[in-house]
Amino acid sequence: MRPFKQLLRYALGSPLLKKKFGGLATDIAGFKDFSVKIPLTTLEELVAEKMSSGDPYASRLCENGAALVTLQLEYDTETRLYIALSRQDLKRYAEALRRCWSLLGLGKGDGVAIFDYGTSPVSYLASSAFTPYLSQGAADALGCLPICNDGVANMSQRAVEILKFMRPQALFIRSDCLEPFSIESERQLGRLSGYTRALVVTENEGCLPKAEQDAYEKRLGLPVYRLLRIDAGMFLAMECPECRLFHSWKDLYYVESVTRAGDDVDEGGQNYLAITNWFARVCPAVRYLSQVKGSVYSAGCRRGPADIRIAA
Amino acid sequence: MRKEVEQGRPDGKDTWPEERLRGFQFRKIKRVLGHAYQELPFYRRRFDAAHLHPDSVKSFHDLARVPTFTKKEVLDEMKKKGTFRTGMETFNSADQAVLCMTSGTLGTSFLYLPKRWRSLRGDSLARAYWWGGLRAGMHMLMAAPAWHSLAVQESRVIERLGATCVIPWGTFLPRFAENFLTTLVDTRPDFVSMFLPMLYALLAECRRRRMEARLAFDSVQYLLIVGAPMTPRSREQLKEELGVRDIFEGLGNPEGLTAMECSFHRGHHIFADCCYVEIVDPKTGALLPAGKRGNVVITSLIPYGTLYLRYDSEDLGEILPHACECGRTWPLMEVYDRRTNTVEVAGKEIVPYDVRLCLDDFPELIGVPFAVVRGEKSAPYLKLLIQRPATGDPYGLGARLRALLRQRLQIDAREEWTEELPERWKGVAVIEEKDWGTPRV
Repeated sequence: MRPFKQLLRYALGSPLLKKKFGGLATDIAGFKDFSVKIPLTTLEELVAEKMSSGDPYASRLCENGAALVTLQLEYDTETRLYIALSRQDLKRYAEALRRCWSLLGLGKGDGVAIFDYGTSPVSYLASSAFTPYLSQGAADALGCLPICNDGVANMSQRAVEILKFMRPQALFIRSDCLEPFSIESERQLGRLSGYTRALVVTENEGCLPKAEQDAYEKRLGLPVYRLLRIDAGMFLAMECPECRLFHSWKDLYYVESVTRAGDDVDEGGQNYLAITNWFARVCPAVRYLSQVKGSVYSAGCRRGPADIRIAA
Repeated sequence: MRKEVEQGRPDGKDTWPEERLRGFQFRKIKRVLGHAYQELPFYRRRFDAAHLHPDSVKSFHDLARVPTFTKKEVLDEMKKKGTFRTGMETFNSADQAVLCMTSGTLGTSFLYLPKRWRSLRGDSLARAYWWGGLRAGMHMLMAAPAWHSLAVQESRVIERLGATCVIPWGTFLPRFAENFLTTLVDTRPDFVSMFLPMLYALLAECRRRRMEARLAFDSVQYLLIVGAPMTPRSREQLKEELGVRDIFEGLGNPEGLTAMECSFHRGHHIFADCCYVEIVDPKTGALLPAGKRGNVVITSLIPYGTLYLRYDSEDLGEILPHACECGRTWPLMEVYDRRTNTVEVAGKEIVPYDVRLCLDDFPELIGVPFAVVRGEKSAPYLKLLIQRPATGDPYGLGARLRALLRQRLQIDAREEWTEELPERWKGVAVIEEKDWGTPRV
């Protein structure tokens, strides 16, 4: 069980995590043991920690010297939260985005448009040009050409211009921009399918409901997929065009579906997703309890036979 | 230890003797001309139409024979072709590259920016941040408007200078001032890079929180401001209010211009390693000497990605006739406004910067957002919309402002005080009367 040992070794460098499970983490025998012994970390806990300690990283920061890029997170909480990333963290986080893009079928020569803020991981992990110390963004790795429009809903007109003049293979769009964009594109472009192949709707700790997704597919005349962000856990998962479940990757994340109290749930049960991030060294995320209801399915999709699958 | 402190120190190009600098620039110009002619159909056509071969350009004076073009022509070309690829760019699908955009009322144009462009322009820009006080190990607050080429360059600057960075959630619009201010207070950066209207939005947010701006900016040593011109008075007032060591103003555009103040603040040094600037008469296209206002024409010296060659930015500016006391030889320039923001009042051409200079004579109005209301015809008096200041009696101020405008610009004015102005990236300089309704003046 080397990954646990490794994870806990550096996670205990974080004052918050040391306080939470410093004495419990010596002998983790396996995933089950990990889930039993290691307590969940909630958003509320991070907020409370930040407010009491005054530390912007909510006492999560370890390896302070390696922190090169700090990002304020998109949470509408009483106080703002941050993550810090090292070169290595950025590289692995961008690898998660690369796999999302890859699952969608994006590859060499494809244009990729992003209607989101530059501060969203969907944007800043897309290209090494957007983020300092990111050696290779998803677009660099796949040979795609990215463009970012910013995430302000009234920039829908410009998003339409991007589609007109770039014809990207996919448009990644914030869920709160989807409706204004749909109205604008219907007004100017008619059917979207002549301008792009798919929309990918993204949201932090939330998912476009299935019924709305279906309605937009019908209305816009092209596939609408979802990309799941859990920013406090530096987590990304992409809805598979084939099995329509979210794919995630065992070497990057350990995903559990648990009750708010932390109890495990059987496969297929609906509960909350808890994320353990294997790569984040500067701000470790260990059993971060998200607000996303979801369940974990076994691997088995043709598009990624070894991938973890999530229904959310 | 010494090596770490010196990381990113710029070379000595900015103090080269004028002759050496001009020789360096001319070689670069020849290179981009040749590249444009050989590789870029947009320029090849224009050269051929002007019966001009790059080999016949033997001096800076000859360069003026290369036809200028404006954003409208780029947009027309895009519309005609139905793609962002106008033939102004060296496109290679094997490149690591991004597409960025320009903002503006005319429409969106695109810039194809490969990694080599980012390296050259970013390394050039690193000099500006160095002048502004950014050093290895410092913590910088920046925004991430990834649609804009500045974000692409800034990410390189940070790497080059060995700084770390913090990025607030959102973008450079006043509605995100709360996030920016919280980030400032929480993470205590040493250096802040920001659009001027956003800085004023931060000050408004400080007032809303009843927080002293000096306290919020306690950790900040230097500010680098772009996006709108800052008047000398507003700089002094901001320095005092924020308690920072210095505030620098950068000028630039995605098409090629980089210019930056040094600590003497006598104008903006044109970054001669990446761009060449001319000032032309907007009516005749003739070159204007230093000290004369005209349209700013830019030639990028970077032969990668989208290339702008004698691009008429339609900004109103001038090359300043004086040398800078800092000893750097890179020429000084000033940009006052977009030419399209010119308003004709009683037969005089007024730009919002002229008004800003007057507003900033009143401490209560320094940095307060305002707009000039423009009708379809020349107006007998200047119509102003001014955001109601946090303190002071606006009506008393109005009377004093009108008197000052009459004295300085020899025009009459009427002002209307408003709670807020429309939200735009760089603030709002001019509002068309039809878009605002007839102001109650």
